[in-house]
This record gives sequence, C-alpha cells and structure tokens, in this order.
Amino acid sequence: MKNNMLNIKKRKAPSYIGPLIALIIVIIIVGLTTDRFFTPGNLRNLMLQVSIVSLVAIGSTLVIIAGGIDLSPGSAIALLTMILASMIKFLGISAPFAIILIVIMGALLGFWNGVLTAHLRIPSFVTTLASMTIFRGFAFLFNNGSPIFSISDTLTEIFYGKILGIPYVFFYVFFFFILFSLIMRYTELGREIYAVGGNAAAARFSGINVKKTVVMSFIFAGVMASFGSVLMAARLNSGSPNYGVGMELSAIAAAVVGGASLGGGKGDIIATFFGASIITIVHNGLNLHAMPTSVQNIVIGMIIIFAVFIDMWRRELGDIFSRLISRRTKS
Amino acid sequence: MNEIKELLWELKNVTKVFPGVKAINNLSLKIYSSEVHGMIGENGSGKSTIVKCLSGVYQPTSGKIFYRGNPIVIHNPMMACSLGVATIYQELSLVPSLTVAENIYIGRLPRKERFPFIVDWQEIVKKSLVILKKLGIDLDPLNIVADLSIAQQQMVEIAKALSRNANLIIMDEPSAAIGMEETKRLHEIVLNMAMQGYGIIYITHRLDELSVMDCVTVLKDGEVVGDRAKGRINVKEIVNLMIGHDVKEHYPKQINQTNDTLLTVSDIYTKKGINGVSFTVHQGEVFGLAGSIGSGRTEIGHAIFGIDDITDGSIKLQNCQVVMTKDKFTTPREAIKCGVALLTENRKYNGLFMNFNGVNNVSIAKLKKIVHRGILDLNKEEIFAKEYIDKLKITPTAVEQSVEFLSGGNQQKVIIARWMFCEANIFILDEPTQGIDIGAKVEVYRLINDITSHGKGVIFISSDFEELLAMSDRIGIVNKGKIIAVKEVKNINKKYLIEKAFVNQV
Repeated sequence: MKNNMLNIKKRKAPSYIGPLIALIIVIIIVGLTTDRFFTPGNLRNLMLQVSIVSLVAIGSTLVIIAGGIDLSPGSAIALLTMILASMIKFLGISAPFAIILIVIMGALLGFWNGVLTAHLRIPSFVTTLASMTIFRGFAFLFNNGSPIFSISDTLTEIFYGKILGIPYVFFYVFFFFILFSLIMRYTELGREIYAVGGNAAAARFSGINVKKTVVMSFIFAGVMASFGSVLMAARLNSGSPNYGVGMELSAIAAAVVGGASLGGGKGDIIATFFGASIITIVHNGLNLHAMPTSVQNIVIGMIIIFAVFIDMWRRELGDIFSRLISRRTKS
Repeated sequence: MNEIKELLWELKNVTKVFPGVKAINNLSLKIYSSEVHGMIGENGSGKSTIVKCLSGVYQPTSGKIFYRGNPIVIHNPMMACSLGVATIYQELSLVPSLTVAENIYIGRLPRKERFPFIVDWQEIVKKSLVILKKLGIDLDPLNIVADLSIAQQQMVEIAKALSRNANLIIMDEPSAAIGMEETKRLHEIVLNMAMQGYGIIYITHRLDELSVMDCVTVLKDGEVVGDRAKGRINVKEIVNLMIGHDVKEHYPKQINQTNDTLLTVSDIYTKKGINGVSFTVHQGEVFGLAGSIGSGRTEIGHAIFGIDDITDGSIKLQNCQVVMTKDKFTTPREAIKCGVALLTENRKYNGLFMNFNGVNNVSIAKLKKIVHRGILDLNKEEIFAKEYIDKLKITPTAVEQSVEFLSGGNQQKVIIARWMFCEANIFILDEPTQGIDIGAKVEVYRLINDITSHGKGVIFISSDFEELLAMSDRIGIVNKGKIIAVKEVKNINKKYLIEKAFVNQV
C-alpha cells in the first residue's frame, strides 16, 4: 500500500501542464497590461473566437498524433458552409437535418483524405494539400461562386445563443474536448493512434490495422471540420467559398503550441485547447493594445517557434534549470 | 611497419557523472599503438561513455586524459579528429546515395591544383584505391554505398577513418550486425591495421571475438574489474568478471520438449524468397533456425506471422482458440489472435514504441485484455504490465519512463513481456539476444525455458550458433529460402552448422 502511494507521488505531470502554465502566464500579462481584458463582454468574445479554431484543432491534433498532417480543414469548412447554406436556403431542408448531413459529409471528406494517404501511400502533406484546393474548388461550384447570405435566423442561435449567461459554444467546446481526450486516453482506437504515430512498423507487427487507424484519424478531422463549418455558417448566417482561409494553419499552430510533435505519436487534446487559447488571447491582447494585424502575425509566428523550441529542448532546459537551482542552494 | 608499441592515450582516474548516475568512476586506462584493445562489459558498464570522452563528445567530470604523455582536454569531436581519434559507431555515418570514394573523402574532396573550385575526381578514386588496398579491402571505389552489405559499409567507414590520418580507431560493436564470415573478414582487417601501427579499441558483446584482441579490459558499473593481456584471456573468467558473480552455466537449457505437435508448416512459398519450407514445432520445444543473414530465416518468421503473404502451402496451429478461416494468416492481427508472437530482429525499427512507457509497450498487442465495456482499464493495465515487469526483472523505471531510455537488454525484455502478456503459444524469436549484454542474455535464455515449461513452442533464430546449439532442441538449417536439414542438436555441432549454412554462399 505504501509502495503504491510512492508510485502515485512519483507519477509524471500530465503533458498539458506546460501549455497550461504558459496560458496562465499569457492571461496574467494581458490581464495586467489592459483594463478591458477581464470584462464579461471580452471574455465572452474570446470564447466565441476560440471556439471554431479549437474544434478544428482537435481534428488536426488527432491527425498529427497519428503521424500525418491535415491541410484541408479550412477548405472543407468553405465547402461545407456552402452546402449547408444551399440545403437550408434553396432546398428547404430543416436545419437540424441539414447539420446531420453536413457532419456525414465532413466524415466523407476525411475518409477521402485518409484513404488516399493510407491506401495509396501518398504522404498526407501531399494528399491534403491537393484536397485543400479541390475542396475549395468545389465550394466555388455552388451558387456561381457567390456567398449565400441570411441562411436562416434560427441558425445564428446555434452560435450566439446563451443559457444562464453562458454562450452555447462554451458547451460545444467543453463537450468535444472532454470527449476526444477521453477517446484518446481510454479507448483502443486512441491508443492505437498514438502507437501508429509513434512507430507505424512496430504497430503493424503488434497486430494493429495501421491503415484503418490512419483513416479513422482523418475521419475524425473531417467531422471536427464539419462542426467548425456549422459554427462558422451560424456565426455569419451565411456560407462562403472564401471562409476558413488559413484555418488549417491556425489549427496546426494550436496543436503545436500545445506540444504536439509533427513527428507523430505525441500530443494532447486538452493541451491543444490551451494552445488555441494562447494564440487567441495573444491576438486579443494585442488588439486591446491597438496593435496592427501585421504585428499580431509576427508575434504569433514567434510564439510558435518559441513553443517548439521549449518542447524540443525541454530536457536540456530542465537540466540547466536544476543545475542553476542546485548551485544556488550550495552557495 | 611500426612494431614498437607506444603509449597513445592514457586516462587517469577519470570520472564522468550524469545527473543521478556515475557512468564511469575513477577509471584508468592505457591505450597503445599497434594493439587491439578489447573492451567488454554489460550495457551500462561505461564503455560508450569512455568512447565519448575520448572522441570529445563528453568532458570528464574529474580526472585527466593524456595524449602521448601530455595532459590534454578534448573540447569537441573536431579536436578529437585532429588528434587522430576516429570512432566507428554502430549506426554508420555514410551517405548511402554516394560512391565509396566520395564517402571516404566527404567534406574534404581534393580539388584540382589549377582550378581549386573544381573537384579532382580522378585523384579521389586513386587515393581511395590506395587506402582500400592498404587495408586489404577488395572494393570498387565507384560502387554506390547503398548497394553494399553492412559489412562492406563498415570497411568504407574504416577507410574513411584512415584517410583522415587517424592513429586510434574506436569500433563500437562492429560485429553486432554482420554475419559470421564477415566477422572473420573484419578481424583480419583489424589485425592488419594493428600490424601497421594503428591503435584499435574494439568493443563487443561477443565472447567468441576474444581471439582478435591483444588485451582486454572488462568493465562493470563504470569501473575496470579486470585487465588481461594476450595469453591470459580465459572466456569463462571473463564472463564471471562481467557479471560479477559466478555463473555456473552460461546456457541454462531446460529440456521441455514433448511429442505433441503445436505448429505444422507445410511446403510454404512467399514472394520474399521462401521456396518450399516445411517443419513442425512441438509443445515445449525450441526449434532453432540456423542460417546466414539473407538466407530466409527471418522471412520464414514473417511468413508464419502474416507479414509476408504465403502464395502456396499451409500453416496449421493446434490449440488455436480462434477458428482459422484459411490455412495461413493474412495479417499479424490474425496471427496474434491465434497465439503467434514475433519478436523482430530490429527492436528499434519495428519493435518498440519510443513514445510509450514500458507499461504501454507491454499491453499494445492485446489491448482487448484490458478493455472493459469498450474502455481501457488503465489500472488493470498497469497491474498486469507490472506483473511482467517484475517477473522478467525489467528495471522498475520502465513503468514510468519512455522505453527510449532503457538499456538494450531491458528493451528486449519489454518486448518479450509484450508477447507473454498476449499469452502466445508460439514465440518466434528473431535474434533475441542481439546487442544485449551477457547478463541479459542469460535472462532471455531463462525466459525461453519459462515459455517452453508451459508447453509453448519457440522458433529461435540466431546468428550465434553456439547459443543456438545450446538452447534449441532441434535445428533447421536454412539456406537460400529452404530448410535443407532438420537435426536433433545432440547429433550436430557448430562446425556442421557452419558448413551447412554457408555452403553455396557467395
């Protein structure tokens, strides 16, 4: 029993602790340097801003953990908002049913990426780069390439609705992050995704269906992109072939800032939420300081490099840190 | 040429401390020219730390290094190189797509005298030939390195070291990845180099290589526990020095063989070069497969395990809980379900998950065992895996730590634990003792006994014919994708295996 206690104490800190600390530091800095950060209006605004990219980033993180990369969700969002808008506005399909169809289509888009990657053995960077242009191309086929405005007033409620003052989106984000971190931690599939990303050859020799696992990671990514597209369409009450430009990169950035390794096998869903939040809050802080977009972009870029640097040299930095401390205590 | 031995390098009371461990402790060592200096010790005994101190990768925490009698600090690998230290690591540092000559002179290609920005290709080939000849290596400098065998690539590494005017060549387990014939050839070259005045540090696990050494230093836990000059090298004594206590039997073979058939392989063919292989494995039996690298011994394992598709012939497994739909396995998943396990030849490449700790590495091939209503029971997983970690005497740090940081022996035992966790009936062990120290080897042998004592079967593939003869009940000799003979071990000896396995080999 005592032995057990010791083991529990020795247990390593979960991998989202680092990004969480970084997030807290960012919140403190932005909170102290601006007077509007902690206003309910700003916090609610932040929640709305982080929601779409963080949901999409769940999918990107899964694909990255499985050893791939997904460049297509931004275009998938554009295509799916166009389909959603067409279905509701032109075909008169009810919103809930249309949303279900959109999620299925999102899964199919992911399936397409997954099959090309896993079965034709084309690197995912290439397949999803192609999908990125293909999906956006299809998006422009709807409504002669023009955006579809004022889809339906009930749709906007999905994004802007509140219960007891808390926006609905908070619950979506909460639900999906908890769901996927449970999937990754407590299901066979989750474990297999980590295994395939860590060492695909060893995974095969351990009886894992590597292709199926890769396809599943892309299907999840497609599904999360479809939820992103529903929120996007609801937010602006429109569909547009120009939505989601650069979204795939923001989602990947969130995963990377959250500590996911593009080498595969490493990453944490909750940490991705912290990564997405860090990026959104830095944007918000710079906005509150009236910094131009150009500066914001530069800062975000630096944060990505810094995050990866910390992650890569964590052990060495830890050594240096502990040496500094031990020297202090000696003298 | 240079028959007088002179003192090249001396380590005096060198200690190297890493956070939490003393890798080498107050160690003194002398290295002479014209001498093959053997270095033997278990994993973690400090061999590679010594090498890294000499090649400028690490700085000793305390103690001094002398070069030709003068104290010196080797700041970095460049400096070690300029002092004439060349290290040939197990992972070779050649560029596969370039030629032999280009690899030898890479980074300092000779230029034409009149046009210093143009590479003098003729000169490179000429110079490379001189070096290769000096070593007695028969290789075309214009061959592409990727087309060479591992052994030949090693030769290129050696040539590269010599071309840099090295005087000390450190070879880190050069024989680990090459076959028996090639090892012999390597020994000739090593002796030839020593004759020509080079100092050589030869690191190995294999005790059958003691004959090539002029002196041996036995290391244990970062200290020298024995120093033996030629003529006083005794295998048994060295084994005892390495392990630190008397091992009564190097090979603790238990006979558990029965007459009940467990696996029947009938006349199988694959596209990977298996041409009609048949054999049976009985319950409690160790069936050895002897053959050179490339003979098809590994591919037989792959065919049974469902990695390579069997185009003709069949496999039959008794005691199989799942009904086999075909007379072969089309995926490893099916094979595992029916109780077949395969420990692969290269644990880093297709065995270990470096992103997982020991526990997750153990459970990965049969997650079903810890699934309760679709959910992984992580407590159960840890309890199960710990049981095997204890049983197999794997270091307890494996529970929390990534397997990346475990020694080779512990890594290998983690994978054996994986298959024991799967409750496999047939264990295909492909080079299970490769690159692990002798203490860990003995533990692997004990595990083989443990497996067979439960009525399970082992297919044992090994390049080390001595261990193969000692641990198997019967041996099948594999040559060119066929089993050319199956013999009871009591009726054959090492000489017979070598003759049969290497006959007709080019």
